[in-house]
Amino acid sequence: MNRNFPDLSVTIGSLSLKNPVVLASGTCGYGAELGDLLDFGCLGGIVVKGISLEPRAGNPPPRLVETPCGLLNAIGLENVGIDAFIRDKLPWLMGMDTAVIVNILGDEIGEYAEIARKLDDAKGVDAVEVNISCPNVKSGGAAFGTDPWAAADVTRAVKSATSLPVIVKLSPNVTDITAVAKSVAEAGADAVSLINTLLGMSIDIDTRRPSLGNVFGGLSGPAIRPVALRMVWQTVRAVDIPVVGIGGISDANDALEFLMAGACAVEIGTATLVRPGTAVGIVEGITAHMESRGVPAIKDLRID
Amino acid sequence: MERMIARFDEKAEIIEHCQAAEDIFVLKVAAPAVSASARPGQFCMVEVKAVGSSDPLLRRPFSIHAREDGGRLSFLYRRVGRGTDLLSRMRPGEMLNVLGPLGRGFRVRPDITPILAGGGMGMAPLLFLAEYCAGSMDTFTILGGRTASELTGLESFRRTGTRVLVATEDGSLGTRGMVTDVLDGLLKTLSESAGQCEIHTCGPWPMMRAVYEMASQSGIPCWVSLESRMACGTGLCLGCAVYGTEKILHVCREGPVFHGDSIRWRDGQ
Repeated sequence: MNRNFPDLSVTIGSLSLKNPVVLASGTCGYGAELGDLLDFGCLGGIVVKGISLEPRAGNPPPRLVETPCGLLNAIGLENVGIDAFIRDKLPWLMGMDTAVIVNILGDEIGEYAEIARKLDDAKGVDAVEVNISCPNVKSGGAAFGTDPWAAADVTRAVKSATSLPVIVKLSPNVTDITAVAKSVAEAGADAVSLINTLLGMSIDIDTRRPSLGNVFGGLSGPAIRPVALRMVWQTVRAVDIPVVGIGGISDANDALEFLMAGACAVEIGTATLVRPGTAVGIVEGITAHMESRGVPAIKDLRID
Repeated sequence: MERMIARFDEKAEIIEHCQAAEDIFVLKVAAPAVSASARPGQFCMVEVKAVGSSDPLLRRPFSIHAREDGGRLSFLYRRVGRGTDLLSRMRPGEMLNVLGPLGRGFRVRPDITPILAGGGMGMAPLLFLAEYCAGSMDTFTILGGRTASELTGLESFRRTGTRVLVATEDGSLGTRGMVTDVLDGLLKTLSESAGQCEIHTCGPWPMMRAVYEMASQSGIPCWVSLESRMACGTGLCLGCAVYGTEKILHVCREGPVFHGDSIRWRDGQ
């Protein structure tokens, strides 16, 4: 290999990515929606929209409100369900030269396991990302992700249902994210990705009503980036498994901050909604940075 | 897989930017790729923030007001918030990111007479439609507003050859009353040939609902162009949901133009 040309490839457990830039769940649809606006072959991977066992209609409108440097959303996990995903959406993704990671969610542990089993049987899936920010219906509705034990239970159930690499996506709406990270790592997670959105709300003072139909929503975008970076830094230093950084990353400089904090890869979310081609520009920017500084590999970006 | 019309994220130069009335602007940009594949009723997501800024974060959706020679597009908008305020300060020569054309536009049929009905800024997508129909068919355009000064650009409509009928709530121009008052009169005038008409409407929700209900009573198909808060405009986030009669609909992808029958009007905006 040409020693002047940096090696952008990374591995997350047994998952190999050509570069560390991945589209984040919920901001890239099932991929095909972006097909004409983005060259998927340039990307490390795509995490498709969260998939449940049965189709979900999502939350009542309004589902969005813009906030300072951010976006508050309460889409309500609208999705086609696992069977329609495998039948109608996965074939298109298989034709793309990029890793396909499927984000999964459920109301109870058994649902997560069943979706994971179905993905294990399907062709063309490279890894599973587990959304544990959903309410645990059987245990009173608190999110799986806010309880280290419940998070570990979900992780074990998914791990035993599939041989695919399992990435657990952590909620930031906790006092100590490293406690949840350690718990899912012990339960066998191959990696963690963080952060999911921060819970927030907004009120319309003219209508005197909450701005979102669901009252609360998840905050994303540049507004949350410093919080995300801090949590990634802490988690990288608390667990031995790879950490994927997510949270308001909008350009290559942002991505480099997360890689320097020790993330093995990054996911690009809200920025894709604003500029569909953002992730491709980030790959180019990371490459240019590494070339100009003579950094040979992604892991060499990490600082102490 | 639904048919995908080519979309582009184009760096567009501002060619002209005029203030047509208090808080109403016409923005003309050079966007040859977007322009070439645009259809009436489609929209663009326009980035209004400065380079390097994260605020306001999201692009703003604007329906395409007109398409002109030389790959140019124009947008008609009202200054209502921070995004449109920032946009209104931009000058010719500055560049804007314009993503489009997006969504499904108006469906016109060659053997049917289109009646265009716009309320306030709802006239924005109708000029492109009037131009599109010009030459091949007779059209009627009803434009309504609170007062005469709001109804800018009537001449642009007249130039397309459409027959323009005007309603103002204060009676300062045209018929005193609402768009539906004029529509009612027009449908009566057309009487039997009203069966060979189709209505295309855009405007405030109560106005579109009234137009749709009048059309339904006359057995006339009615196409409505809806607005919604949007983040992406491209079907990625599913944020622009509205209630349909059978299911949730997404304004950016299944719309912004819907058949009136598919909308659950009582759950309005």
